[in-house]
Amino acid sequence: MRWRPGPIFIILALAAFLPLLDIVLPPKLQLCEAVRGVFLYAILALGLNVVTGYAGLLNLGIAAFMAVGAYAFGILTCEIYPFQLGFWPAIALTIPIGALAGFILGAPTLGLRGDYLAIVTLGFGEIVQDVLKNLDVVTKGTQGINPLPAPNFGGSQWTADDEYKWYYLFFALLVLTVIAVRNLERSRLGRAWFSIREDEIASRSMGIRVEKIKLIAFATAAAIAAFAGGLSASVLSSTGEPSNYDFQISILALCIVIVGGIGSIAGVLVGALVMVGLNSIVLVKATAWMAANGIGSQGNVLLSPNNWKFLIFGLALILAVRLKPNGLIPPRIERAKQ
Amino acid sequence: MSVLRADGVTVKFGGLVAVQDVHFTVNQGEIYAVIGPNGAGKTTLFNAVTGIYAPTEGHVEFNGKEIVEPLTGLVIFKFVCAFFAVGIFAVIGLNIETIWTAVIIDNYKFGQPFPWSVAATSWFSTIWSLPLVKNLVPLLVGGGIGAGAAAVSWSRGRSAPDHIARSGVARTFQNIRLFNELSLVQNVLVGMDYRMKTGFMSALFRLPRFYRERRESHESAKKLLEFVGLGDRAQQAAGSLPYGFRRRLEIARALAGKPTIILLDEPAAGMNPSEVVGLMALIRGVRDAGTTVVLIEHHMRLVMGVSDKILVLQYGKQIAEGIPEVIRVNPKIIEAYLGSEDHG
Repeated sequence: MRWRPGPIFIILALAAFLPLLDIVLPPKLQLCEAVRGVFLYAILALGLNVVTGYAGLLNLGIAAFMAVGAYAFGILTCEIYPFQLGFWPAIALTIPIGALAGFILGAPTLGLRGDYLAIVTLGFGEIVQDVLKNLDVVTKGTQGINPLPAPNFGGSQWTADDEYKWYYLFFALLVLTVIAVRNLERSRLGRAWFSIREDEIASRSMGIRVEKIKLIAFATAAAIAAFAGGLSASVLSSTGEPSNYDFQISILALCIVIVGGIGSIAGVLVGALVMVGLNSIVLVKATAWMAANGIGSQGNVLLSPNNWKFLIFGLALILAVRLKPNGLIPPRIERAKQ
Repeated sequence: MSVLRADGVTVKFGGLVAVQDVHFTVNQGEIYAVIGPNGAGKTTLFNAVTGIYAPTEGHVEFNGKEIVEPLTGLVIFKFVCAFFAVGIFAVIGLNIETIWTAVIIDNYKFGQPFPWSVAATSWFSTIWSLPLVKNLVPLLVGGGIGAGAAAVSWSRGRSAPDHIARSGVARTFQNIRLFNELSLVQNVLVGMDYRMKTGFMSALFRLPRFYRERRESHESAKKLLEFVGLGDRAQQAAGSLPYGFRRRLEIARALAGKPTIILLDEPAAGMNPSEVVGLMALIRGVRDAGTTVVLIEHHMRLVMGVSDKILVLQYGKQIAEGIPEVIRVNPKIIEAYLGSEDHG
């Protein structure tokens, strides 16, 4: 059978060559830094996609696991703590730490379904923020933990100016995440996730251990989200304050999954591009352009596209769900390998 | 040899008695039919056998034993783990500020190497020197909750449908329950899942054994689909199948785990006469391949044609059991059930 590039491959290949476009674009329109954010949210949404897309468990608290990852990365690397690991071991450790956090949330909520589970995960998201805020001794409260190390290849630490290095680092880690999620999706485990999403009673009657499979979904999603959290802390060189990981982040991740296509990796990538791209590329660039051309003086808040963000967001979501209820790139039924 | 034996099974929903004191024995290699008017409790009986409902009274034996997960050392070890995991979590969670201060902040001078051995001992001594209310009590209370929750969920799950299915009792559903968005092959593979061995890591890293198992399982899934006559539709979505084929796919999915016994809930519902003839051949084929069959059916030609023994239920009570020739002429049954139906 001839190999044909799938949508995932095409999207990732395009992203790999994006920095070339920056060479020809004027400085104001350069994209790399903003697309890095798209990659970050794509990783987060890929995590959410495991639990909500594959296993069908609505999770409204995915940002909490991102916070867990960011703070774990902060505590493990920052020089005000004794651990002082480098970037790579710390970012690797965010994965098991996130999985453990997912396990802790997942274990007591296994019996819950649908709306009830959504409420519990929502609460968990708020609790984690509050704990991080009030546990001053450990987490430095609202200050956040900083400075945090960047990766270094061959000696020198990267700074925020090494835009393309960061770009390709995030790109490579996104590709790794995509491969990992895809491998899980097309395995016995992925099939079990799909089966409990489709019909829990039937899959239980086929001998699927529903509780165990759900727990694995929770832990995997949390691990990926924590990984994204560690990365974001590293690129910002700070965990930021706990309220950076609030409900809005969870909702944004959920919107990415819904708009892109629930349970579809390519869909999540496109969804991240659309949602985050709208948020941090189109609106920001439009505002900058308008300001540069004298439209929209600083005084008139209505003339700045940035302030229309949530309206545009809401409209985009409604349009996407109305016109493409299965997402921009709906999941395909897996073709069995011969 | 008896494969499945129900001994005084009763299922009550509040005041409603859906199944009352049913006894039956299914022998190896038999096709055993359960018939009765609508609402007689046939499906409830199936649900009680497969663990979807727990029987209010009586019990079901499979190969001479009740299907419950035994209380092994491993299970007890899990309870102990749950005790310490939740207990220690509670102790650390309650005292996190004290512990962190004593272990990390007091030992770490900025810029100097961290004295790991000192920290490791002060870790323990800090917890030890706390008042009992702050270390022993949370450990016991938290641990008790953890172990208790583990024990409760274990005892609930020990005769749950997944455990029963894993012991070799497969079933199909009256209102077809396929995984509509999965392909036919994948539906069958879900039924095969508990026979598979590759775990999370071999799937994540695509180890050689992952490929081996995938190849083998796809091959046997294809064979099963051919056995039920769906071989040419293997890659289609289950939701796109015509009704009669869905029943066949459910049978293939149930057979995928190589069960000892298969329970078919109205396999002929909604089928046309020629499909029913095909289904009869399929049911015989399943039996000839070594799987004992229990079926619920209204379709009298099918029941009389294939079954070795018939159980008749009415209002949840068993009113007769016997070979088709006897059931066919039993006036009580004709009055209760067959009398209203053309059974020529």
